[in-house]
Amino acid sequence: MRPADLASLAGGSLRGHPTRSLLTLLAMAIGVASVIVLSGLTEGARDYVRRQFLSLGTHLLIVLPGRNETHGGPPPLLGSTPEPLTLDDALALTRLAPVRRVAPVVVGNVPVRHGGLEREVTVVGSTAAFLPVRRLRLAQGRFLPPGDAHRARPVGVLGARLRRELFGPGEALGTWLRVQDRRFRVIGVLADTGQALGLDLGDMLVVPVASAQQLFDTDSLFRILVEARDAESVEPAREAVLRTLRRRHDGREDVTVVTQGAMLAAFDRILRALSLAVAGVAAISLVVAGVLTMNVMLVSVAQRTAEIGLLKAVGAADRQVLALILAESASLSGLGALLGLTLAAGVIALERRLFPAFPLAFEPWAVGFATGAALLTGIAFSLLPARRAARLDPVAALAGHA
Amino acid sequence: MNQDLTRLAFGALRSQPLRSGLTALGICIGIAAVVLLTAIGQGLRQFVLAEFTQFGTHLIAVNPGRNVTFGLSGALIHTLRPLTLDDAQALQRLSQVRAVVPVVQGNAEIEAASRSRRAMVIGVGSRMPEAWSMTVASGRFLPGGDLRSTTAQAVLGATLRRELFGSTNPLGRRIRIGGAPFRVVGVMAAKGRFLGFDLDDTVYVPAARALALFNREGLMEIDVLYAPEAGSEAVAGRIRRLLAARHGDEDFTVTTQDKMLATLDDILGILTAAVGALGGISLLVGAVGILTIMTIGVRERRTEIGLLRALGARTGQILRLFLTEAVLLSALGGAAGLVLGAGGAWLLQALVPALPVRVDWRFVLLAEALAAFIGLAAGLEPARRAARLDPVEALRAE
Repeated sequence: MRPADLASLAGGSLRGHPTRSLLTLLAMAIGVASVIVLSGLTEGARDYVRRQFLSLGTHLLIVLPGRNETHGGPPPLLGSTPEPLTLDDALALTRLAPVRRVAPVVVGNVPVRHGGLEREVTVVGSTAAFLPVRRLRLAQGRFLPPGDAHRARPVGVLGARLRRELFGPGEALGTWLRVQDRRFRVIGVLADTGQALGLDLGDMLVVPVASAQQLFDTDSLFRILVEARDAESVEPAREAVLRTLRRRHDGREDVTVVTQGAMLAAFDRILRALSLAVAGVAAISLVVAGVLTMNVMLVSVAQRTAEIGLLKAVGAADRQVLALILAESASLSGLGALLGLTLAAGVIALERRLFPAFPLAFEPWAVGFATGAALLTGIAFSLLPARRAARLDPVAALAGHA
Repeated sequence: MNQDLTRLAFGALRSQPLRSGLTALGICIGIAAVVLLTAIGQGLRQFVLAEFTQFGTHLIAVNPGRNVTFGLSGALIHTLRPLTLDDAQALQRLSQVRAVVPVVQGNAEIEAASRSRRAMVIGVGSRMPEAWSMTVASGRFLPGGDLRSTTAQAVLGATLRRELFGSTNPLGRRIRIGGAPFRVVGVMAAKGRFLGFDLDDTVYVPAARALALFNREGLMEIDVLYAPEAGSEAVAGRIRRLLAARHGDEDFTVTTQDKMLATLDDILGILTAAVGALGGISLLVGAVGILTIMTIGVRERRTEIGLLRALGARTGQILRLFLTEAVLLSALGGAAGLVLGAGGAWLLQALVPALPVRVDWRFVLLAEALAAFIGLAAGLEPARRAARLDPVEALRAE
């Protein structure tokens, strides 16, 4: 039997029972579409997290004071240490070869007043390098002036949201803000970048690091942000930072350096495992669809006993009958997968139009996995009905005694 | 008649055992997936809740700063409105407050005679073991009395004790924390890990000492243990009023443990339901299976239906007959799925004891009811088709 004959025979018998064939197709399509859409959801989340990290810059290193001995434990993100990082530590890092920029960071919560309005905001003390290191953009005015980091200046740059809250539609540039007992002149406003990994950058006031240290009466830093020259120099930069700080801290290794890549990789691993698990759970429905295919094929073989008997009587071999039934179920699951793909593509396109900020991913691996699983279950579950058909005795089948 | 109906339906199912079995198998797989997935979800939920309640449930935490910034409370960064030891002292005098624990946390080098190690340093008060449900393994905890006490005594966590002293007795020995001398007066019983943190790689010192060590003026947190019979909201309200009066403004955040747990429980419950819904996709496919097989069955049994109608069966009876068949199929499949799912959960628990699994019978009942409903919904259209058959036409078909 030629493949074309096989296909036309299989197609003909499917068309002979349109309701049954369509329902089986529908079952397969639901399974395939749910695998693709659900893995698109988790892969979309993975892309989202990756983009958020990339928006912070790819070559970023974060230096935290303190270190934990426990291996595999989390970095000491919380808490204080008796050996703090200082501004001079940060300035020493700027001279390292693999380092492009260094932004020291002091952070605190302070009420900021303008006119009759007061708002408790995050005051970030840093230098001119903070803008490029955190990939921020200015909407108006200018950023902190470069120059001696030790010099306190009464100037500040507003986040977009803080500007709205304190000034409304009015002009903010050049006005004076009262922060505790000090006054700061607004020299710039940051562009609205929304939230980055949960940090609302819009509700903050950026001032020179020395001014922030005076405000909080401290000589320590919260973090040092270090930007490496390029992707290759992240690791050398990490080693150089650790070496330099150990030398400056009398040989004690009392800081932790977290690289952006390490954090991204940790999130990436978790989300990848999640999306595989979700796809796997959705694939259970494909097995159910496979069971249905088997059932329908069994019914079809039983109803066509006489037809199969005739085929065998005119000389069709067992293998040809087997191939005929398998071709039928393969086209059922193949068409079902195609329908599922179309359905999934439609859902994803609709979602992308409705929520452009969080697009679902159309993952090639998920498409391949779903289609492969659909075909495999469809054919595997039809082996029993196909063998039953192939083993029919032609005489008995024609006589209707199968 | 109802008995006859069931017998007739059963008979029809039994006459096609393979076909009925496969249709029920589809529902069975779906129900088993729902039961197993919700069992894993519920297990995780209880695991997480147990992690959080191991510190006691009648706790209220007070943090400095009005709002949470950078995902961290104001305690970790600088704030111009610190919580002080005097604030903690004042909270002790509130009614229905059992114990007040000031908390300062940090990281420092700990040196014993021959070894040194960087570990977590927690400044607390003498009532910490009671408030955080921890026990002292040997020696005693920090001395009671004034929260502002600066006595240079320290209590080691189990891991830190092992790392610094090995098997020798640490009690009475001198250690240096961040360069300052302390005397070891006790060792805590092991508490294990919490969300990845090794809680035993820790040394506990008086809060006032920790403030001096880290050169801080404010506490990171004040934990208030209240009497179990008192309402958390009432105590939280009193704490708020007292501190607002002392500070002249509400520049702190009060979190009650039970409220936080309730929120957490809600989130995890929703997550479990979502995971169950994921398994429900298989049920949907199983429903399509019932629809398909019932449609085929009605077509095959036209003569039988025609005969029944000719003998005087009303359309309502035919409808009920086929609906009963569909519901029986899915209910039997569902019951098998329950056994399979619960068995799978049991097996998973036996093979991977670390993965918490717990079959929630509410979800199980819901899944079984859903299975029966699916049978009803999927069987409706084929049953109506059967009921509408014209007896004469149907009999002539053969």
